[in-house]
Amino acid sequence: MPLYLFTIFFVALPMLYLLALSFLTRAQTWGVVNEFTLDNYLRIADPVYLNTFKESFQMAILTTAGTLLIGYPFGYLMARLPGRAKSLMMLLVVIPFWTSALMRMYGWIIIFRSNGLLDKLLMGLGITDSPLKLLYSYPAVLVGMVYSLLPFMILSVYSSTDKMDWSLVEAARDLGATRGEAFFTVTVKLTLPGILSGVVLVFIPSMGLFFIADILGGGKVMLVGNLIQNQLQSGRDWPFAAALSVVLMIFTSMMIWIYRRASGVRDLEGLL
Amino acid sequence: MKKTTRLFAALTASAVMAASLSGCGKSKENVDGNGPSRAEVVSQGGNEGKGDPGELNIYTWAEYVPQDVIDQFEDETGIRVNYTNFEANEEMLAKLETSKGGDYDIIIASDYIIKIAADEGLVKELDKEQLPNFKNIDPVFQNFFYDPENKYTVPYGPGIPLLVYDPSVVTCEITGYGSLWDPSLEDSLALMDSERVVMGMALKTMGESFNTEDPDVIRAAGDKLMSLAPNVRVLSQNQTQDYLLSGEVGAAFLFTSQVVLALSQNPQLQVVYPKEGLGFGVDAAFIPSQAPNSDNAHAFLNFILDGEIGAQVAQQTYYLCPNQASYEFLDEGFKQSLVISTDDIPNGEFIQDVGAEATALHEEIWTEFKSVLD
Repeated sequence: MPLYLFTIFFVALPMLYLLALSFLTRAQTWGVVNEFTLDNYLRIADPVYLNTFKESFQMAILTTAGTLLIGYPFGYLMARLPGRAKSLMMLLVVIPFWTSALMRMYGWIIIFRSNGLLDKLLMGLGITDSPLKLLYSYPAVLVGMVYSLLPFMILSVYSSTDKMDWSLVEAARDLGATRGEAFFTVTVKLTLPGILSGVVLVFIPSMGLFFIADILGGGKVMLVGNLIQNQLQSGRDWPFAAALSVVLMIFTSMMIWIYRRASGVRDLEGLL
Repeated sequence: MKKTTRLFAALTASAVMAASLSGCGKSKENVDGNGPSRAEVVSQGGNEGKGDPGELNIYTWAEYVPQDVIDQFEDETGIRVNYTNFEANEEMLAKLETSKGGDYDIIIASDYIIKIAADEGLVKELDKEQLPNFKNIDPVFQNFFYDPENKYTVPYGPGIPLLVYDPSVVTCEITGYGSLWDPSLEDSLALMDSERVVMGMALKTMGESFNTEDPDVIRAAGDKLMSLAPNVRVLSQNQTQDYLLSGEVGAAFLFTSQVVLALSQNPQLQVVYPKEGLGFGVDAAFIPSQAPNSDNAHAFLNFILDGEIGAQVAQQTYYLCPNQASYEFLDEGFKQSLVISTDDIPNGEFIQDVGAEATALHEEIWTEFKSVLD
């Protein structure tokens, strides 16, 4: 029962408020007027704002692909380690969470900045002869995104690989499958729920993580999260910000729905 | 979220910024290595029993009121100061509105938002009887649009944003905003991450006001802005001078405090008063309409209007000093470092609210500009 109350107060009511707000009109200078309108949603269809959604979507896809590429082999190999090494590895994956995500972003600045660590390394090795302008760019934001969301992918893949029944892989091998065939027909299929939950756990936050775009993108990369923040502050247009949030939520709900359909799993494997 | 940004930015800044600042900067545009927590007490409450001098709730940007000034005020009056900080003017006004003008006793915020707050009836008229030091205010910093009769506010941090460039890197001549479009400046500008300021530069090159509400003019300025994109290296509000000092950019548009800090680190930098016209802004202190400790708030305003204290404030916030009684207390070094003369004030134009439609148009152009940038 307390759980229901908790959900109503802290989840349902704010959502309803947001939904109601998204149909109101902004006041001339400050606040909101109680006047019903669909304009806020129509404005999202403006090419400028659609483009922001498109760019966020693109960033989210690239981030997810990046984390999958690194996170799958990592999680897979981690699950195959012997007991002690496994827990040590797990610890190493989790340790970055002990410090602030922002702190770690500033770490990337030290690496990427002009004449920073990476520049010095490249110039020292004779690969480049002058400082590169690596920071404040789309790729820098992408690196930051992949880096911060990677643990979610690793842990998802790890948990499903760890639970896997290895005798099935052995059976496939016994019946003549090569290592590769056994991997793609058995292992990948059995770890699919882990992959999909990793994809969802990475994809959804990457649509809204505006501080990474701000810090590593030098204010030049605008994702939906940044747009919502801007509308709330300098734009002083709360109804439009609310409409943007509603659309973003519908979008992410769709992702979860697709995940359920694709995996046949009702919860997010191992993590929720 | 944004607030955390500030906190951790402050924590890490010293590790990150090679040219870390030694002093106590202002945190509106300035996140220095001081550590954020010393005045981060968040608590509210009304006056307690008689004889107890009670509390004072200050609400402004992190570290905007120097700690030694707060300590001195507490020592002299026995009033306990609770310092709460906000990240953005709009965040402040939203909270003030929720509390119906209560909860806080002193708010220091920017000109345009004070105007809106006053129009919403959230600002209390000052009791001049309780402010004998009010006469110390330099009249040059009074009678502005947000308080034409000087009934509500005390100017705290006035400034003019200026162009600063490194002559060892920049090859073209910089005389105004228009010079920033020069192709030789490709990928080497740091501008403010603020649509109205950056759009304001484009508007000024066309001879228009920052505050035009004409959609055609704003659109034309927007078109002009798009062609500036190749030159923009970074958009930033905080510590922007560091991009210039570390060589990441060749030229930057900086707040007054950042100009002063930049020059103190590298006196070779050149300051330009844009020929198309200056901007101007004032952060001012006011008392909310339902301030729980109004008397303490007046006591605090009177305290910072004292000549010596006013000098302490100006020298630690790096803004212009609006207190004429403070001039004799300012260090010679500070007076010389102050690149802006108060004679320029009448030429500066404020950025003001332009209403729903023009604001929405600015937002749209800004969103488009950012998509061209990355």
